[in-house]
Amino acid sequence: MSGLTLRLKAPATERINLSEITPAKLAALSSHAMARLNVGFDKGGLALGDAFDISGNAGDTLTIEGSGASLDFAGSGLDSGTIRIVGNAGAYAGRKMSGGKLEIRGNAGNFLASRATGGMIHVSGNAGDNLGGVIAGDRFGMQGGIAVIDGNVGDRAGEKMRRGTVIVRGKTGEGAGTRMIGGTIWAEGGIGPLPGLMMRRGTLIGPSVDRLLPTFVDCGKHDLVIVRVLSRYLKNVLGDLAPKPMPLFIQKIAGDMATIGRGEILLPAS
Amino acid sequence: MSMTINGVSVDDTFAEAFGMSGTGIIITADTLKWARIAATVATGFGTSVIGCGAECGIDRDLTPDETPDGRPGVRILMFGFSPDALVPQVKNRIGQCVLTSPGSACYSGLKAPLSIGLGKAPRFFGDGFQTAKKLGDSRYWRVPVMDGEFVVEEETGVTTDAVGGGNMLIVGKDRTGLLETAEAAVDAIAKVDDVITPFPGGIVRSGSKVGAKYAGMFASTNDAFCPTLRGTVKSELGPDSLAVLEIVIDGLTSKAVADAMRAGLKTVTDIGAKRGVTRITAGNYGGKLGQHHYHLKDLI
Repeated sequence: MSGLTLRLKAPATERINLSEITPAKLAALSSHAMARLNVGFDKGGLALGDAFDISGNAGDTLTIEGSGASLDFAGSGLDSGTIRIVGNAGAYAGRKMSGGKLEIRGNAGNFLASRATGGMIHVSGNAGDNLGGVIAGDRFGMQGGIAVIDGNVGDRAGEKMRRGTVIVRGKTGEGAGTRMIGGTIWAEGGIGPLPGLMMRRGTLIGPSVDRLLPTFVDCGKHDLVIVRVLSRYLKNVLGDLAPKPMPLFIQKIAGDMATIGRGEILLPAS
Repeated sequence: MSMTINGVSVDDTFAEAFGMSGTGIIITADTLKWARIAATVATGFGTSVIGCGAECGIDRDLTPDETPDGRPGVRILMFGFSPDALVPQVKNRIGQCVLTSPGSACYSGLKAPLSIGLGKAPRFFGDGFQTAKKLGDSRYWRVPVMDGEFVVEEETGVTTDAVGGGNMLIVGKDRTGLLETAEAAVDAIAKVDDVITPFPGGIVRSGSKVGAKYAGMFASTNDAFCPTLRGTVKSELGPDSLAVLEIVIDGLTSKAVADAMRAGLKTVTDIGAKRGVTRITAGNYGGKLGQHHYHLKDLI
């Protein structure tokens, strides 16, 4: 596998914007043009070559080493290939991603996978608030793809999420699935308090929920075929990263009845 | 020039088959028994595209490992003149026969560049309570029903490379032995993937010719192969022929049809003579109508 490596020369003193820095885009540039790419936020700009040591050959993989929470928009616009971040990533990682794979071997900041439509994100640590959530100016949050977070995630994960799947090995923060329109959030460590405020459709799955909104209603215990389909799909796509299948019988809690109430929280039947 | 194998004469002729469109559908249920019930009903009245709208049958049983929901299942195939012709057939058969069957779910059983609706129409039975779950490239509809949810994939693949009308005619002097031989051939064909034998038990006793003396009849009895007419028409049957049974084969590919014919022919030539089978031939229209010709001598 061929690929480039970007190694941060020194701890960043300003925020770095890695938007649209993808393997395919770098492969189309000469080394000179690559080094001149602007990765700063201000008008003065910050050249990629000034911030990073660049080594290797452009290919389908891009490795970013020595990164930190100041690296924003990592993997933004990724449509093919792999971006591997060794260390933490800042906000908006995987934004508008449509394909390929983003691996973050550390923690991710806020708004991970916002408006993503495809591809696969794997974070070995925690993720911040608004995972797969909507940002001002966007109509929806995550609209496709899969994000797997090995740790916990912050508040309002999946806000206005429309499609796609989020797997959280840890626990979600408060308000997961707020204003959710579709898609699935599966939190193996449990669902935080008050999930699904004004949720229209979509599915939250977990072993427990901290506190339910009063506008969610118990639909009883059921053997849901769709959960089996989901489990097998995730096993096929994720392999060992897939969550453990839910038990046969599941308690379905529907909501938010303050809106159309087609959303659901699925818990193991006790 | 015919050849004789194990005492069974094999005519030097060919089966003439036609290009069709075909689709595959997976039906699952809590038990294989109920998956088979749903599949049997959904493929009912699906013998001939002329009168039934589609030719349908069960391809094979599926183990839980082979189905999208990990339950036992059955794969059925449907064949029609075109993808558009299959649309109402799939809609009605899934809506009336699978949605209604206890514990059933229904998925795409064929990956192909073209697709047609599978749950697109039946989902409206949910009256607005239906919800969708998109996983990868597939969208699954969840329709609330009285025993839980009917899960149905939105679309299934359809191929225009399918073949309908592969056939063999088995001639015998003992009707019971002939039927037993034909049954064994159908069992052998059932082991070939991607094919069905759409007639009752896979066997046709009323082979047809094109046209009739009556206006409006597209097909009528194949008098040349009717033993009771021997002597009154230009018969294809010898004096020792008491009955003829036909096996019609539809497949998703031409190779699958050829493999199925090969399996059927082998069974008939292996066991037929002891059961009174005297001859194997095939139905064709002189090679002018069908694009696919399966020469028996090439498949022996």
